[in-house]
Amino acid sequence: MFTSRTTGLMLVLPAVVFIAVGFLAPVLILLAQSLRLEDGWGIGNYLAFMNDGLGREVFWRTIKLAALVTLAAAVIGYVAAWAIVETRPERRGVLVGMVILPLMISPVARTYAWLVILGRTGFLNVLITNLGLSEEPLRLLFTETAVFIGLLQLFLPLMIISLVSALENLPRDVVPAAQTLGAGWIATFFKVILPLTREGLVIGGTLVFTGSVTAYITPAVLGGSKVLMLETLLYQRVSVANDFASASVIAAILMVTTLAANRLLRRLATPRRR
Amino acid sequence: MRRAALTSVLALAFGAAAPAAAEPTLVLSAYGISQDAFKKILYEPFEETCGCELVVEIGNSAERLAKLEARKDNPNVDVVVFADFNALEAARKDLIQPLDPLKLSNLDKLYDVARDPIGDNMAVGYTLYSTSIVYRTDKITDMSSWKDLWRPELKDRVAFPNITTTQGPLALYMAEQAWTEGQPSPGLETAIGKVAEIKDDVVTFYERSSQIVQLFQQEEIWAAPMGRFAWGNIMKLQMPLGWLLPAEGQTGGLNVASIVKGTEQADLAHQLIDMWLSTEVQTALAEALVDSPVNREVELSEPVAQLMTFGPEQVESLRLVPPEQLLENREAWLETWNAKVAQ
Amino acid sequence: MSSRMGGLMLALVFLFLIGPFLIIIAAGMSAGETLAFPPQGLSLRWFWAVFEVESFRASFVLSIVLAVGATLLALVLGVPVAYALARYPLPGGEAMRTLLTSPVIVPAIIVGLALLRYVVIPLDLGIVPALFVAHTALLVPYAVRVVSASLANLRSDIEEAAVLLGANRVQAFFLTVLPNIRNGILAAFILGFVTSFNQVPVSLFLTGPGVSTLPIQMLWYMEFTYDPSIAALSALLALMSMAIVLLAERFLGLSRYV
Repeated sequence: MFTSRTTGLMLVLPAVVFIAVGFLAPVLILLAQSLRLEDGWGIGNYLAFMNDGLGREVFWRTIKLAALVTLAAAVIGYVAAWAIVETRPERRGVLVGMVILPLMISPVARTYAWLVILGRTGFLNVLITNLGLSEEPLRLLFTETAVFIGLLQLFLPLMIISLVSALENLPRDVVPAAQTLGAGWIATFFKVILPLTREGLVIGGTLVFTGSVTAYITPAVLGGSKVLMLETLLYQRVSVANDFASASVIAAILMVTTLAANRLLRRLATPRRR
Repeated sequence: MRRAALTSVLALAFGAAAPAAAEPTLVLSAYGISQDAFKKILYEPFEETCGCELVVEIGNSAERLAKLEARKDNPNVDVVVFADFNALEAARKDLIQPLDPLKLSNLDKLYDVARDPIGDNMAVGYTLYSTSIVYRTDKITDMSSWKDLWRPELKDRVAFPNITTTQGPLALYMAEQAWTEGQPSPGLETAIGKVAEIKDDVVTFYERSSQIVQLFQQEEIWAAPMGRFAWGNIMKLQMPLGWLLPAEGQTGGLNVASIVKGTEQADLAHQLIDMWLSTEVQTALAEALVDSPVNREVELSEPVAQLMTFGPEQVESLRLVPPEQLLENREAWLETWNAKVAQ
Repeated sequence: MSSRMGGLMLALVFLFLIGPFLIIIAAGMSAGETLAFPPQGLSLRWFWAVFEVESFRASFVLSIVLAVGATLLALVLGVPVAYALARYPLPGGEAMRTLLTSPVIVPAIIVGLALLRYVVIPLDLGIVPALFVAHTALLVPYAVRVVSASLANLRSDIEEAAVLLGANRVQAFFLTVLPNIRNGILAAFILGFVTSFNQVPVSLFLTGPGVSTLPIQMLWYMEFTYDPSIAALSALLALMSMAIVLLAERFLGLSRYV
């Protein structure tokens, strides 16, 4: 008979070997390649990327859009989650199901829908011109706005779900109590609700932020070559320029960005000890 | 008995997984545009005669060249078609091998420019097309020059080919001619600077010619530089679209076919290319408004001839950019473009 | 915030989340040749046309085979891990856990590129095996997490009882544990299937001549066609996902596992 430690090891071993060999090893080699120069090793590729105006711009655009999407998702998410939690429990299940539903649908289909909606002859522009809000249809496709809208729709459900579970755990009487004590809605939110649901917000925020940073389809279809983000730039560097040096740098930057976001937000989630 | 049954089940299972084992497979790497027409006119007839399976991989020229390069030691493509300057680059990087002129029975029928465009029989031209501006005739009038792409009415309504595409350098080359009054600099600084001036007003810098059709159809754009090979698809939109004959003239390009170095299907590859160059296929492709012919024996009906880049005079009149010149300067153009336009 | 106001806000959010699908379904039902809104007449012709496109059929089959195969293998690898996590001290502790969840953290596009560059090209491995490996690796953490969740509710004493009654450990697992976590495994299967079927960034670089998954093929096709067929196909995929989610929610309570 094996010891329990050996049994445990044998149970996890196949998965560990599979992931280490088939997944982690190639990824680590790729990341290591970013330090490979024509003559030896160093951070030359990173310097080249950051000195290239295009690389810098794409990096900051990616961070900016991901942050804006996260912020918008948080604001909308609180309102939606609060409204869901306020409903009767038997309806709550249906509503949560409706939030999850879009997550299960192919992102290609979800993005294509926005192509149909935001186009110059699309649904939104037909609406805008018919309502007389603008004489000419607006240019919406291939702009940062289009990418922002697409990403928000893609990842908002993750934020709502996280906040629903956080709000469900909120003691039922804290909000009435705060208001009895004379706090307005804004004060109640920042002094009571936010601190008590911080963990849910951070989990949702991490999912939305890293999701936005690493999204490919949305910037590719709704942004195109004028609104490059890190993933689309990576694709372009590999498939158009066959430039693996800068592709591996972008890969490393993507990796570090998602890890850093995870770390930073997790730190924010743990309440400070006094 | 049982073993025999098991063997046949296994044979069935694995046989079904690899039906191509008996038939050789030829892989063609091609542009994505008009694949339906190519299938009917070239691919299916070819498969009937060759006793092989033809697999087609599509993408824009830069993408497919990058793939060839990445797979240099392990090629998975046999025949590749792209622009003449892509072929020259591929030849310099040792990615393609010379054609055997003796195996191309239709070679003598081609225009001289198509026969051996980059030297050493590394490639053969299969279509020659003009590049100019397509525009909405109901929205803008008196278009006459490449400079007209910069007109204020086209703000937010114009698309430009990205510099990494085949059309990008060609359009920039003509814009440089226009904006320097015929005193172009090899670095194309003026043209790229001019594009940079209106970059916020450009709807998008397109990566594949097929996108252009969609952009016109959804009324995202009213004008864009474009190769003639997309004209057939543009006409299907049945919109008021015109082909400009600019004062500075039209440029154009030669698309070529080459055989990938290290292919095991050299004979089939020659067969496919030869069929592509045949009078029959060249005529059918032109009549379908897909590709203008390089075969001198092709005769076209009058309306089609009007729509294609056709006949010796037209072929002579194109201001082609020599592939060597294009390749030599492209790095510099890319750098200027990335500094001024892309960011 | 009054509840009427909350209801209105919620309606707007759902309009934003679900409205686009209604529009895509409507656009796909157009009778016209081109994609337009409002659609020019009603017809189901584009829904049938989707099945005529050979590249869709081939890539659909590959996507299904890939999703089923990768999910099954991920479960074969992941269920023992979940079980070990619940019953045994984990050797290597935190490091092992990080390793096992790494596929979730690494941006998927990097996985595809790394496999292409350092496995497929140098070893001349086929595209399909590479896709299979990449998708499986991606799904293992999901399988572990979902199955762990259903194991957490399972007391270990039934298993001990089975062992006392003479079953060996393996028999005890198959007789007592497996039937009890069946729903969790099914939920993991559905989540894994949907995740793999919809995956784009991993597969982006892992396509070859004649080999492509359905979402990648759709991305290509979007550029080359201007008719409502992609809208129709998107609508079909959306309806398929809705059916899966509704059935799974009805029978398994899928939302508990997401």
